[in-house]
Amino acid sequence: MRNALRAEWTKACTSPGLPALLATMVVSMVALSAAVAAATDPLPGTDLPKLGLTGVLLGQAVVAVFGALVMGDEYATGLVTVTLTAVPRRSRVLAAKAVVVAGVLAAAATIAVAGSVLVARLLLPADVVAARPAVGSVLYLVLIGLLSLGIVTCVRSSAAGVGAVLALLYVLPIVTAAVADPAWQRHLRQIGPASAGLAVQATGADLDIGPWKGLGVLALWAAGALLAGAALLERRDA
Amino acid sequence: MNGFANTLRAEWTKFRTVRGWVLATVAAAGLIVALGVMPGMEGTCGKHGLSSGCELPLGPGGEEVTDSFTFLHQALTGDGSITVRVTGMTGILPGGDPHGRGDTGDPNGPNGTGDPNSRSGRGGTDGPRHGVAPWAKAGLIVKADTGQGSTYAAVMMTGAHGARMQYDYTHDLAGGPDAATAAHPRWLRLSRAGDTVTGAESADGVRWVTIGTARLPGLPATAQVGLFVTSPQYTEEVHAGLASGAMGGPSQATGTFDHLATGDGWTGTAWQPDVIGAAGDPGAAGDPGAAGDPGGADDPGGPGGSGDGPRSGAEGFERDGDTMRLRGSGDIAPAVAGAAGLGVSISQTLVGTFVGLIVAVVVGCVFVTAEYRRGLLRTTLLASPGRVRVLAAKAAVVSGAMVVTGLTAAAAVVVLGQRVLRGNGVYVHPVPTLTELRVVAGTAALLALAAILALGLGTLLRRGVTAITAAVVLVVLPYLLAVTVLPIEAARWLLRVTPAAGFALQQAAPEYPQVAGLYTPADGYFPLAPWAGLAVLAGWAAVALAVAAVALRRRDA
Amino acid sequence: MINVNGLRKRFGAVTALDGMTFTVPAGQVTGFVGPNGAGKSTTMRVILGLDTADSGEALIGGRPYRELRNPLRHVGALLDASAVGPSRTARNHLLWLAHSQGLGARRVDEVLQEAGLTSVARRRVGGFSLGMRQRLGIAAALIGDPPALMLDEPFNGMDPEGIIWMRRFTRALADDGRAVLVSSHLMNELEDIADRVVVVGRGKVFADAGVAELLAAVSDGRVTVRTTAGGPAAAVLEAAVLAAGVGSVTPAGADALVVAGLSAEEIAGLLGRHGVPFSELTAHRATLEDAYLNLTRDAVEYRATVAGEGR
Repeated sequence: MRNALRAEWTKACTSPGLPALLATMVVSMVALSAAVAAATDPLPGTDLPKLGLTGVLLGQAVVAVFGALVMGDEYATGLVTVTLTAVPRRSRVLAAKAVVVAGVLAAAATIAVAGSVLVARLLLPADVVAARPAVGSVLYLVLIGLLSLGIVTCVRSSAAGVGAVLALLYVLPIVTAAVADPAWQRHLRQIGPASAGLAVQATGADLDIGPWKGLGVLALWAAGALLAGAALLERRDA
Repeated sequence: MNGFANTLRAEWTKFRTVRGWVLATVAAAGLIVALGVMPGMEGTCGKHGLSSGCELPLGPGGEEVTDSFTFLHQALTGDGSITVRVTGMTGILPGGDPHGRGDTGDPNGPNGTGDPNSRSGRGGTDGPRHGVAPWAKAGLIVKADTGQGSTYAAVMMTGAHGARMQYDYTHDLAGGPDAATAAHPRWLRLSRAGDTVTGAESADGVRWVTIGTARLPGLPATAQVGLFVTSPQYTEEVHAGLASGAMGGPSQATGTFDHLATGDGWTGTAWQPDVIGAAGDPGAAGDPGAAGDPGGADDPGGPGGSGDGPRSGAEGFERDGDTMRLRGSGDIAPAVAGAAGLGVSISQTLVGTFVGLIVAVVVGCVFVTAEYRRGLLRTTLLASPGRVRVLAAKAAVVSGAMVVTGLTAAAAVVVLGQRVLRGNGVYVHPVPTLTELRVVAGTAALLALAAILALGLGTLLRRGVTAITAAVVLVVLPYLLAVTVLPIEAARWLLRVTPAAGFALQQAAPEYPQVAGLYTPADGYFPLAPWAGLAVLAGWAAVALAVAAVALRRRDA
Repeated sequence: MINVNGLRKRFGAVTALDGMTFTVPAGQVTGFVGPNGAGKSTTMRVILGLDTADSGEALIGGRPYRELRNPLRHVGALLDASAVGPSRTARNHLLWLAHSQGLGARRVDEVLQEAGLTSVARRRVGGFSLGMRQRLGIAAALIGDPPALMLDEPFNGMDPEGIIWMRRFTRALADDGRAVLVSSHLMNELEDIADRVVVVGRGKVFADAGVAELLAAVSDGRVTVRTTAGGPAAAVLEAAVLAAGVGSVTPAGADALVVAGLSAEEIAGLLGRHGVPFSELTAHRATLEDAYLNLTRDAVEYRATVAGEGR
C-alpha cells in the first residue's frame, strides 16, 4: 500500500494541470463568496456564516472535476493498464487515489474556505466566523471529490462521470425544490448529497437534518461510490 | 452545399452509431417525462369530496382569475350610468413575519372581526398593522352576475395607483394618479351603452375625464351593478440572504363612499350587500400556499363557514345616512401562481429539463472532445477539410437530436403529464395553448442551445470534463443561485446576462403589473421575456461556436 | 519463466481464447505469432491480470500475476505504447512507476539510458513519436529489472534504425538469461531474433516449435535454374527426377526452370556432366513467413488484413 500511495502521489504531483485546477477552485470559491456577500444586504437572522461560504456551490464543481480527472484521465489515455500492471491489487490503486485526492483537496479547500471566511468578514457587517461551517465546508469539498472519484471509477469515463456528479450537485436540489409534496421534499433534502452535506454550513435553526448527520449522509454517498467503484474495478477486465 | 450535406450525413452517422450517446439522449427524454409525473406529486384536489376540489375560477378569456370582493349591488337592465364619490380608503396589512410565506392560509381572516388586534396575528411577531395595500380597490363595477369569473368592467380608486379602469380581469387602464381622501375626494362614474362600458373620474363631480372604454360582449341585458371593495394578498420581499423570500398575507380595505346615484336609464335603490368568493369557494381570494389545503373550507376561524355561496355581508357594510362604508378583502384580477398560488405550473412539471440539460451538455461536449482524445479528428478533417463546416455539421446534428428529444419529452409532459397529474389530484394551472406550445418549443430550444454551447466549449477547451463543467456552471448554477441564495436584484441580473436567461422560455404564467406579487425566479417568473431569454442563450451559444470555429481554423488538428 | 495453461475466454459471442497453452522459457526469445484477432494481446492481458480468463491459468515463476508483490520486478510488459499520460514527461512517467515498485529515481535514470531516452527524458510524452513511445514502453518494462518480459508488437511504428535497435535489444535481453515473449503478426520480424515461435490463430496454438524445426518442415528444396539451353537442361533433369522417383521440373519463363526433388549440388553436377550451360542456380530458402502461411493456411480468419499489412 505504501508503494501504491507513493506512486499515486508522484503521479498527482507530476500532473501538470493540477496546480491550475486547484488555483481555479480557490479563486472561484473566494470570488463567489465575495460577490454574494457584497450583493446581499442581510437582515437580522440571516445565516451569515453560511452566506459567507456560498462559494462552495461553485468550488464543488471544480472539486468534482479534480476527483473525476484523477481516475478518468487514466481511462482516457489507457494508462490504467500500466497502473494496474504495476499494482495488480486494484482496490489498493483506488484506495491510494482516494487518499491522495482527500489529502490534496483538504489542503486546497482549507485555503479556499479560509479565503472565503476572510472576505465575508470584510464584507458582511456582523461577525461571521464560525468553526463548524468552515471545517464542515472543507470536509464537504473533500467528500465531493471522493464521490466524483468513485463515480468515475464506476463509469470509466470522466465526461459521463462528471455529468452524473454535477447532476447530483446541481440538478437534484432544483428537482427537490419542484416537488409539490412537502414530506417528499424533506426526504429528498435529507438524502441528497448536496443538500444534506451543506447542512453542515447552517448555523440557524429549522434544519431538515443535523449538520454532522448531513455530512454523514454525504460521506455515505462517497463511501458507496468508492466501494461500488472498487468492486467494479476488481471484477471488470481492465 | 452538397459538401455540407455529406459532412452532415457523416456527423449524423457518427452520432447515431455511438450507443452511449443515443442511450443517454433517450434516457434524458425518459427522465424529463418521469420527473414530470413524479410520484411525489400526489395532490388532494377532489379527493375529499366536492369541497376539496381546487379549481380556480376562470375568466372570460379562459385564464385563471381571483374574484372575491364585497359587493353592494342590485340588478339593473339596459343602458344607464352609476356615479359615486370616494372619500377615503383605510385598511389593515398583515404583520411582519419573515416566515409568513406559505403560512398564511386564511384569506378570510381580516374581515372576520372588526378588530385587528384581537386576532392571533397568524404567527407574526408584529401582528397586523394599519395601512392600505397598494392595489386595494374601491369603486364601481358592472358585472354579468355574482358568479366568480363573470365578465365585468369597473372603475376604482386604488391604495397607491390612483384611479383605474379595469375589465375582464387582465385589462388595466390608468386614470389620475391621486388617491381619494376626505380632503380630496374623487368622483367615479360607470356608464353602459349596449355592451360598451365607459369609466370616468372627476375631482368635483362636474368636469369628467374618461379613463377608458371596455367592450364586454358577454354582458347580459340585466347586469349586477354597484359598489365594490377588495384588497389583495399583500407581500413584501425579505432580503435575508439564504432566507430571502416573501412574507405577507391577506390584507383588508375599507372604502368610504357617498353620493351614490344611478341615472341615464338606471333606477333603483334596493342595494344588497354580498361577499363574492367567500370561504367555501375553492381558491377564494387567491388562497396562498395551500396546495394541500385548498380553499380552507374546514377553517373553523373562517366567518360564515357554511360555505353556501355568497353570504350576508352585514359585517362588511355600514350605512350612515348618505355615507356608506364597505369592507372587503380579496381581488378581482388574474390569478398569479407562486408565493400566492397553489398547485403546480407546467414549468414546474418540466423540472426534468435540468436533467436533460446535463445530458445535452455532456453529449454536445463529448461529440467533439472524443475526437480529440482518440485522434479521430484528424480522420474527420481529412475526410472533410472544411473545419468550420465540420463544426457546423456537428452543431446541427447534436442540436437536432436535442430538439427532437426536447420536443418529444416536453410535449409528453405537457399533454399526457397534465392529465396524469390531474388524475392524481394535483392542480395544474391551465395555460393557453399558445403558451403550452411556446413552453414545449422552448424546452427543445434550451436543450439544443445548451448542447451547442457545450460543443463550442468542448472544441475550445479540448477536454471533456472541463468543458462539461464550464457549461453546467454557466447554464445551471446561475439558476440555482438565483432561486436559492441571491437577493432578488442580483438574481434577476444573473438571469438576464448568463445563459440561464433561456429558462425564461419555460415561464408559463405572465406577470401582471396590476397584481401585486413577488415575481421571483423561484416562483417561475424570469426577468426577461421568453424570446429575449432565448436570444441571450442563443447569443452565448453563437459566441462559443464562433470562437470555437476561429480556434479550430487556427490550430493544428 | 511464464506458463500459460488452457486459457479460455469469451467476449459475448466471440471466443477469444480457446485453450491457449504454451511456455516461455528463460534465456530464449519466444515469438508469439498469429493474425490480428488471434488472441495474442488477450493472452498477454490475462497473463498480466488485466483480463480474467474464464478458465485456465497463467503463472509467472509459478504464481498468478495478481499475487505478486511488486510485480514489475517479476515481469515487465510493453502492451500499448501510446498508453501513457501525454502531459507527463518521460522521466515522471517512469518515476511514479518506480515508486509503485518501491524503487527510486536512480533506477529511472538507468532505464532511460538503456532505452536511449536520456536526452528527451524531460520532454512531455505527448510530443513523442510512436517509436519514442515504444522505447519509453521498453524502459517501463525494464524498470523492475525483471527476469521475464512480454512485448506486444514492439516493432510497430518504428523506423528501420529503431527496428534494428529493438531486435538487438530483445536478443540481448534473452542472452542475459531472461524469458522474453515477443508478439507480432509479421513472422519475418521475428526471423533473426526468435529461438522458438508459438503460432496461434482463433485463440489456440497451432505450432510451438524451434525456429530451425519449423523451417525444415516447410522447406521443400526447390531450386531455380537459369539457362539459355532450356530444352537440353529439362531433358537431363527430368531423367534424373524420374530416376529418383520424386520431384518435378517446371518451366518458369523463357530462360528458367524450377526443379523440385534435387539439391542444388546434384543439379550442378548433372548439368556439368552433360555439358549443359547455366548461368545461375538459386536454392529456395524457406522463410518463417512461408512456414507461418503454411501452418495457418486454413485457419486465418483475417487473411486480407494480414496480406494488406504485410510488407
